[in-house]
Amino acid sequence: MWVLSRLLGIVPTLLGVVIATFVLTHLLPGDPAVFFANSPTADAATIQAIREKLGLDQPLWRQYLIYMGDLLQGDLGKSITTGQPVARDLMQRLPASAELTLTAFLLAVAVALPLGIGAALRPRSLIDHACRLISTAGVSLPTFVTGLLLIYLFYYLAGVSPEPIGRLDPFAAPPPTVTGFFLIDTLLAGDPASFLSALSQLILPSVTMALFALAPLARMTRSAMLGALGSEFIRTARANGLRWHKIVFSYALRNAMLPIVTTFGMVFSYMLGANVLVERVFAWPGVGSYALDALIALDYGPVQGFMLVMAAIFVLVNLIVDIAYGVIDPRTGLTNA
Amino acid sequence: MHDRLAMVRHVLLDNPPNLIASLVLLALLIAAFLGPWVVPYDPIATNTRVALQAPSAQHWFGTDQLGRDVFSRTVVAARLDLVIAFAAVLLSLALGSAIGAAIGYFRGALDATVSRVVDVLMAFPLFVLAMAMVAALGNSVTNVVYATAVINLPFYIRLARAEVSMRSTLGYIEAARVGGSSHVRILCVFLLPNILPSLVVQASLNLGWAVLNAAGLSFIGLGVRAPTPEWGIMVAEGAQFIVSGRWWMALFPGLALMLAVFCFNLLGDGLRDIVDPRNRT
Amino acid sequence: MDRREFGIGAAAVALAGLVPMHRATAQSRAESLRVLSEGSPNSFDPIGIGVNRSSIQVTWNTYDRLVRFGTKPREDGTLYYDYFTIEGELAERYEISDDKRSITFHLRKDATFHDGTPVTAEDVKWSLDRIVASPIGKAQFSTGSMTTPDQFEVLDAQTIRITTPKPDRFTLPNMATTYPIIINSKLAKSHATDADPWASEWLKTNIAGGGPFKLDSAVPGQSVTLSRNDGWKNGALPGFQRVLWQVVPNAQSRRTSLERGDADIVQDLPPQDAVSLAQEAKVKVVGVPMAGAFQFIGMNGNMAPFNNVKVRQAVAYALPYQQMFEAALFKRGRPLFGGKPGEADGMEFPQPLGYATDPAKAKALLAEAGFPTGFDTTFSFELSLATVAEPVSLLIQEALGQVGIRVTINKVPGGQLGTLLEKKEVPFFFEGSAAYLSDPDYFFRIFYNGATRWNFGSYANPEFQGLVEKTRFETDKPVYETEVKRMITLAKEEVPIILLWQPTLDTGMQKSVDGYKYLFHRMLELRTLKRV
Repeated sequence: MWVLSRLLGIVPTLLGVVIATFVLTHLLPGDPAVFFANSPTADAATIQAIREKLGLDQPLWRQYLIYMGDLLQGDLGKSITTGQPVARDLMQRLPASAELTLTAFLLAVAVALPLGIGAALRPRSLIDHACRLISTAGVSLPTFVTGLLLIYLFYYLAGVSPEPIGRLDPFAAPPPTVTGFFLIDTLLAGDPASFLSALSQLILPSVTMALFALAPLARMTRSAMLGALGSEFIRTARANGLRWHKIVFSYALRNAMLPIVTTFGMVFSYMLGANVLVERVFAWPGVGSYALDALIALDYGPVQGFMLVMAAIFVLVNLIVDIAYGVIDPRTGLTNA
Repeated sequence: MHDRLAMVRHVLLDNPPNLIASLVLLALLIAAFLGPWVVPYDPIATNTRVALQAPSAQHWFGTDQLGRDVFSRTVVAARLDLVIAFAAVLLSLALGSAIGAAIGYFRGALDATVSRVVDVLMAFPLFVLAMAMVAALGNSVTNVVYATAVINLPFYIRLARAEVSMRSTLGYIEAARVGGSSHVRILCVFLLPNILPSLVVQASLNLGWAVLNAAGLSFIGLGVRAPTPEWGIMVAEGAQFIVSGRWWMALFPGLALMLAVFCFNLLGDGLRDIVDPRNRT
Repeated sequence: MDRREFGIGAAAVALAGLVPMHRATAQSRAESLRVLSEGSPNSFDPIGIGVNRSSIQVTWNTYDRLVRFGTKPREDGTLYYDYFTIEGELAERYEISDDKRSITFHLRKDATFHDGTPVTAEDVKWSLDRIVASPIGKAQFSTGSMTTPDQFEVLDAQTIRITTPKPDRFTLPNMATTYPIIINSKLAKSHATDADPWASEWLKTNIAGGGPFKLDSAVPGQSVTLSRNDGWKNGALPGFQRVLWQVVPNAQSRRTSLERGDADIVQDLPPQDAVSLAQEAKVKVVGVPMAGAFQFIGMNGNMAPFNNVKVRQAVAYALPYQQMFEAALFKRGRPLFGGKPGEADGMEFPQPLGYATDPAKAKALLAEAGFPTGFDTTFSFELSLATVAEPVSLLIQEALGQVGIRVTINKVPGGQLGTLLEKKEVPFFFEGSAAYLSDPDYFFRIFYNGATRWNFGSYANPEFQGLVEKTRFETDKPVYETEVKRMITLAKEEVPIILLWQPTLDTGMQKSVDGYKYLFHRMLELRTLKRV
């Protein structure tokens, strides 16, 4: 029931996103009909014919109604630049972005959690300073510079990394699509060579992204753990002579998990929308670079579709975080203990 | 007040990173204020005869495509970068805290409406939103600042709202209200000064991010290359030359950028330690 | 970087490097061509809406046309298209009637489409009818006096005749451009609907041709795979069996792949990379000045102060040409500055306009024009041209500042500048364009005449316009030459636009790749490429 009402609450947010994006894209000072009439022999009549064909001769409110009508039928419109329905383009590209983001996210969590916990357990120790230094350094360079630097070092100079282009070795055929995640699909297809190829293509871009995501995660873990360790009940637990190990991992971590999980959710959805730059550097066929190209080319449909899908993912991730709250609520943890 | 000062001394002296960060900030400020007068070359003047030269005794950091001195440009760029960072962050801080405090204090329909709008704004993929805004408003430093401020706004509104609604039920606020203070007075005199520290911490952590955001925008070509040097743009441009062996154009402004962001972040941490000593042990 | 994470990353990278991933055998790798480019094709229908230049690379190689331009090698051995000889492709020969009003094409008898259907005159007629039925196609075809379907007449299964109301020397070259691809009409018609009688939707994503390559797969924005059509009869069989073309947006990534030997061809190298790659000599860099293409400084002739010819001349004298050519273009092009002032230097256009940097003269002209203290203006350029246009804009800002013209720089995202130009709202700008056909009067008709945005200077001199009209159907050669020379003189004296240079098309390739041919559309000709 609670989940249902939360789901209903999503609708106005998404509607707001749709309206705002529609207005924003149509604010772009440029006439798509002129842009797409790009042959030097095109004259005013050609441009007008194209404008009518694209439906841009209609008043804005009618264009909006038409767009909303299509949207209700699950039609996100068509991309003029790729010539494909936007929904199909996004479905093709979303798994690429999701796989990259997820890998980078897991990588970042795998480093940030132990680092943050370690820093909180031994404040002002070497590990604490290291945590601070690493997490600060990670966010101190723009991602595109980190990416180019990694390519230069590991591909161009050392030659240990595969060509930083796309998701798979160029001469390998992509696995039959089941999930769209190459790491999973290659295994399902029983093709370990392609799996390794997909994995090695993933390493540099995901490390680039992970470096950036590391900082907020490690920071939040550290301060949440510090807060939990300093709280009343931990002191009580220590006074009661409970084992240190149990205190840290059962009580403190469980308490600290709330803010940490919130941060996880925010960082994850931010990464999903912000990997445009990484996708650009690594020729990664994701949704971010798709939206960017469409934006530059005055192709409204893909920009609107991208914003809507990203917003939907954002609210869904938040919903999942909220549900996770219920599961790891420390009060339940304490009563059980 | 004396306690706070002692605290500041303690945080600075007892924590070497904080001391270093303060010194770096000082250097940046000096570069920003005095830069144009102390650098060896005019950072804007081109001289194509010496284009693309490697670092040397004449040009410590080498020269760029148009023969401009990279060292002079890197130093002078501190000014524009600090302006972008501070302008963007202050803008969202000021607007965000005002809106957030107001809706947190008054609640009701206003709160519901604004919170919805904030939800919508948060749901956007923020970097792409910034891109779209710059593309729609036009390529200029001012618009990059606006875009950066807008995508940051929701976080400040939420923070301010949470802090205010937590405090507005406290005794001294109630007392002020009963004592006949106006809403504006309560907000400005009793609430804002109290919530400001945590907002300022957030802001200082945000400064570096604002610079990076501008750099990212210029990498994809949005964000203007005014003749006035700016680190992010210098890095984005220099990146085109790394593989052909002209690393200096991207490296030095990149280091400056890194140093600045690093220093902002450390300072933000230090500031949080001062404001919120609970996190210290 | 985190030392620990660095360790993990490095280990994983090393592990991946040890595993043999190239399952394609060495043999098939040698017969495949791997191409990287920035742009990606967005349609396989040349007369669709918003079709980009990259799309031509697919249609050019999967379809045939009736005729093609001949070939002449340049001094360095690079093959170059010859605008003035037109040879048969699908047509084994053609005849021009005595009154010069009609051309008869005789199709090759054994030519087939990819599905094995023989190519007939009906297919040709359907393909040409389709062009004049679309606004974009018709706009191009009318430059060759072809506007209605009844001009395309089937004589028998192998013969088709094109008739024009007046003799028109542009009819035949138009048949060799990118538009009149010959489509398998049976196949296409089977995908036509009432709403879409010309199967435009289907042809956007499918190939119904008979060219030297077949389309294996295409993923929008990512890759295109082509394989050789071994039954191709309209020329020597291409050297590569398979072509894998991938889209890589970042120029640095493309370059590293080429240098590491993973890519065979990288298209459209930025000038600075072309220079340094050529110096390092690990790979081949083929640079060809683009015929018909040009980059220029535009000034809005409808707008003060650029409606004053003296102001335009002053700007032309104030520009730092040599510096721009060296620092922005790295000399990868053919200068269109300097040269003989005033009168025509040969019949070719674009040609150097005769202006060299002379700030004193610029100042004097500004004073004469009534701007002794200069003026303020905004200089615009488009995002996609930024690699060259940004340094150009800064050099111009500095140089014009010295004669008193204060310039603000405005960088405009892709689609926006076109709209502003169409509305004639941009005072001062950098742009580039290209004409497919090389006749000077064709160039003037498009870029110095009319109400479209392609008349970049909004040039409207009645004498010039009269000459544009007169040269259109001029058949008397001496008269034509006198008229063109007068137009060239006017273009030089009144400078509606200041030509800067013809940029070089720089293509990087492995030394084993041979047979590169430059074509007017600047995309790859896969028919002649081979590995040696």
